[in-house]
Parts: sequence; structure tokens; C-alpha cells
Amino acid sequence: MTVRITVDGEPVEAPAGSSLTAAFVGTRRWRLRDHPISGEPRGPFCGMGVCFECEVTVDGRPGVRACLERVAPGMTVETGR
Amino acid sequence: MSARDVVIVGGGPAGLAAAARLASAGLAVTLVDEQPELGGQYYRRPSPATLRAHGDHRPAGGRLIRLVRRLGVECLTGHLVWGVADDARTLLVSGRPGSAVRLRARHVIIATGAYERTHPFPGWQLPGVTTPGFAQHLAAADGTAIGERVLVAGSGPFLLPVACSLLDLGVHVVGVAEAGRPYRPSGRALTSLRHPARLRELAAYTARLAAARVPLWQDRVVVRADGAGRVSSVTLAAGADPAVPLRTLDVDALCVGYGFRPQADLARLLGCAVRTDPVSGDAVPVTDRYGLSSRPDVYIAGEAAGIGGVHLAETRGLTAAAHILARRDRASGPARREVLHLAARRRRLASFTALSESLYPAPGDLADLLAPALPGDTTVCRCEAVTAADVRATARLASGDLNATKARTRAGMGPCQGRFCGFAVAALARHATGAVPPGAAGGTASDEARECGAHPPTGGPVFPSRQPIRPVPVESLLALGADDDGEDA
Repeated sequence: MTVRITVDGEPVEAPAGSSLTAAFVGTRRWRLRDHPISGEPRGPFCGMGVCFECEVTVDGRPGVRACLERVAPGMTVETGR
Repeated sequence: MSARDVVIVGGGPAGLAAAARLASAGLAVTLVDEQPELGGQYYRRPSPATLRAHGDHRPAGGRLIRLVRRLGVECLTGHLVWGVADDARTLLVSGRPGSAVRLRARHVIIATGAYERTHPFPGWQLPGVTTPGFAQHLAAADGTAIGERVLVAGSGPFLLPVACSLLDLGVHVVGVAEAGRPYRPSGRALTSLRHPARLRELAAYTARLAAARVPLWQDRVVVRADGAGRVSSVTLAAGADPAVPLRTLDVDALCVGYGFRPQADLARLLGCAVRTDPVSGDAVPVTDRYGLSSRPDVYIAGEAAGIGGVHLAETRGLTAAAHILARRDRASGPARREVLHLAARRRRLASFTALSESLYPAPGDLADLLAPALPGDTTVCRCEAVTAADVRATARLASGDLNATKARTRAGMGPCQGRFCGFAVAALARHATGAVPPGAAGGTASDEARECGAHPPTGGPVFPSRQPIRPVPVESLLALGADDDGEDA
């Protein structure tokens, strides 16, 4: 069952209960933030909660690792790009 | 505080096996895991959609998790054990935002698993460059392909199943690049060794890759990745000569990793003695053959006690559980026989691991090969954007002292706390002074005290463990301070 979530204001269809990084990769959203020092784009790297490269804001909660978060209906995600 | 017999940190194969054994004997067990669901990495649960479409790719994991829950184990998923209180016993745990939990038990089993070993190279911070494990989870748990044209690279047996999982999703795997030379031209040569079952598994993967005409390059390492905003090409070179590029491939994803490193931070914070593994250079907790650490109340099980695969991990979990039960019931013959039986199995499996490991290059040797060849502008520490040139220059000033280099450059001080760059920063620091021959970087951190910030001997090969083990929301720390006793779960 796919559900609708919002990523940076855009509607995105994603399977309910899949990892949020899978929703990003499945829709080719690799650039999740720009590095605060170098300004380079960054995307998910380890997929298991160690690297913190996939931190996004979910329903107003900042610093959520997308790889540890499951897709839920109506979820609102803001990336750092 | 409730009467809790055992706290198990980590809900992967080792932690689950230990939890089931202990709970079936009637002990009060709490199992804590940072991930949203039990299973760890190996038994990671498929998403509901993947489960419906393809079933459970690891049904044994599903059965073990159901058993653990049925036996009444208290399961705290989404809970991070991030530190140890001043009594050197109580575990500090962060749960839902704003909640703080303290856990104490007669025994602790640390089954925190492993994470992937990475080596930096120019461009490894580009989106689309990931660990092989990430590609594997996306494929197995979420049915999602990491890309359309993918190179799998690094070293170790794990690269083969990852490449095969990608093939199953219809991905064009442009090749598998292995840093060592573990494979003979014919897959059959592998079966001539002992432990044929595991090696047959490897041979089946190489056969699958050959049938799909996926090139398997040996003695090849990734020396750079390029792309505008996302990886679009990868350059390979021979391991012994990383400065001479041999081949450039067009890709839209690169999965690169050099095996796994034990996640031993919690053991180190608890003051358990660690040794420096001579092959990998990693800090590995010292245990006896039952998994008991240098502390009489702390066991180390699973990959946290040294990389060995799922069978060894589960056996270590069971051994620790059986040993706890035997200690409680000193007169019991069956309990002692179970422990001895498991310890013997554990030894056999560990000897297979050593054999399998010997097929691949030693991680410490690889680091000594790759680190000196890194161009100065390579981002080494991803979190703090510190370059190889920064690390080298500072390490020279600091006479190779790793902690001084870290403090001065901030390499290893970002959110991943050096887990992905630490190995390379240590190698760069060793080579910057030219004073320390490879493999002699020496110094164990076994005398390291549990106080955060305790320094291993100068020139020690690894960063010290610090708490919080991972960044913790300030609100969780405030919740801990607001109620002096915390919330005794």
C-alpha cells in the first residue's frame, strides 16, 4: 500500500512502513542536505544509523535519521538542501 | 528499580538468541535496540510491502523475534544506550523524544554488532556513494534498487551477496572490484578448502555473477569517484599502486566497503578491557571463551566481540546466556554441559572465520597501502570536512599522536564520532611522521578507564570511546537531569 507523504512541499508516493531513505532513493532524491562547512551536497551513506548523513526534519522534529524512520501516511519531511 | 536479571543491548542475532535462552529459563530480561524494530542488520525486517510481495527473506529472524516477544522479554526498540552513569553500572538510555531511561541489571550482555569499514577516497562524500550494506538493506527490506548502473567494491565476502541482490532487482551491476585476490578463476577451487558449506555459498554467488556476465575484478580498489551533485563515474587502480588509474566506469551508484568493524564503544565505556586486533587494527573487547569480559557482570556477544558472521554471533549469544544460567545454578550438571558444548561450537566457528578472513587482505595492511596515496585534498572526515592534507600536517606537528591530531583538526569529532574516518585518520597519522612501521603502531587501549576522555597510550591506533555514544537530543539529557533518578524503567 502506498501512502502520500510530503517532501519539501512536494507530494511523494511511498510504500507505508518502508524506510524513509528507501522512499528518497526510490524517487531519486539523493541530495538530502548541503554540508555546513564545505557546502557540498550529501546523501544517505550507511543506511543503519551510524553516519548521520541522512538527517532530515520529520513533522517538525529536527535531526531525524531517515534510515531509522518508517514512512507513515501524511508525514511531512523537510530536507536540509 | 525493578528486579531485572539481564539487560541485553542489541536486538540482532546474538542479542535475540541470548534473550530467548534466558527468558525461557524464567529470567527477567530487557532487550534494548536503537533501531525501530528488532532483528539487527542481518535479520532486518522487510517492509510490509516487501513482505507481501516476496515474503520474509530471513524467516529464521522472524521466528526468533516472535519467540522473544512470546517469552515476555521486555523489548525497548527505538531506544539508544548512549552512556554509563557514575556508578559504572547503570546504563543511560534515550527513548522517545524527551524521555530518559536508566537501566540496571545483575548482568549486561553487549550485543551491539558491527558497522562497515570504509576507506576515504576523493569523491566518497558524493551522494550515490554508499556502503554495500545500505544497498543490501534497500534491496532486501524495501525492494528498492540503489541505482541502475552500480559498481560494488571494497573487500570481503559480503560484496558477493550484495551484487547478487542487485541482480535480483534487475540492476545493471557493472562489476565487482575486490581489493584482494581471494577467488580462483574457477569457483570450484573454493570448495577444496575445509568448511565446504560456507564456501559453497560463496561459490554459488560467483557462479551467479558469472552467469550474469558481471566482471569480478581482483586486486582493484576505488581511487576516486566523480560527479556533479551525484556520483557518475568511478576510477579503479591496483591495490599496490593506487596512484596509477587503470579503469574508469560510468555508474549512478557506488557501493564500497571493506568488511565490518566491531561496535565496541559501550564495552569500552563500561571499562571492559580491549585489545588491538593484530589483523584489523580494531579495538576488540577481551573475553573468555564464554564471552565474559574483564568485568564479572558484563558479557560481549555477537559481532561486537569480533567479526564472525551470523552463526558465530548466535552461538556467542547462546553461550553468554548459558553461562549466566550456569552461574546461577552452580550444582546443575546439564547447565554446565550446555556451556561447554556451546563453547566448543563457538571455537569451531571462530576457526572458520579465521580461515575465511585469511582469504582477504588484512584491513591494517590495506590502510597502510591506501592512506599514504590519498591526494591531499581528499575529504577524510566526512562530518567535519577535514582533508588528508590537514590530518598529515597536524599529525606531523603532533608527532603522530592520534588524539592531538583529532583535537586540532576536528577529524573524528562530528556526529559519526570517527566511526567512518577513524581507521584512515589513524593510518594517515602513522604515516605522516614516518616513524612507525606498519603493523607496529601498537599500544592497546586495555588500560583505558571508563571515564569519558580517557586517553589510550600515545600513538594508540583508535580513537577513545566517549559518551554520548551517539548524539543525543538535548531534551533527553534535560529529562535525565530533571528527575534525579530518571525514569527507572
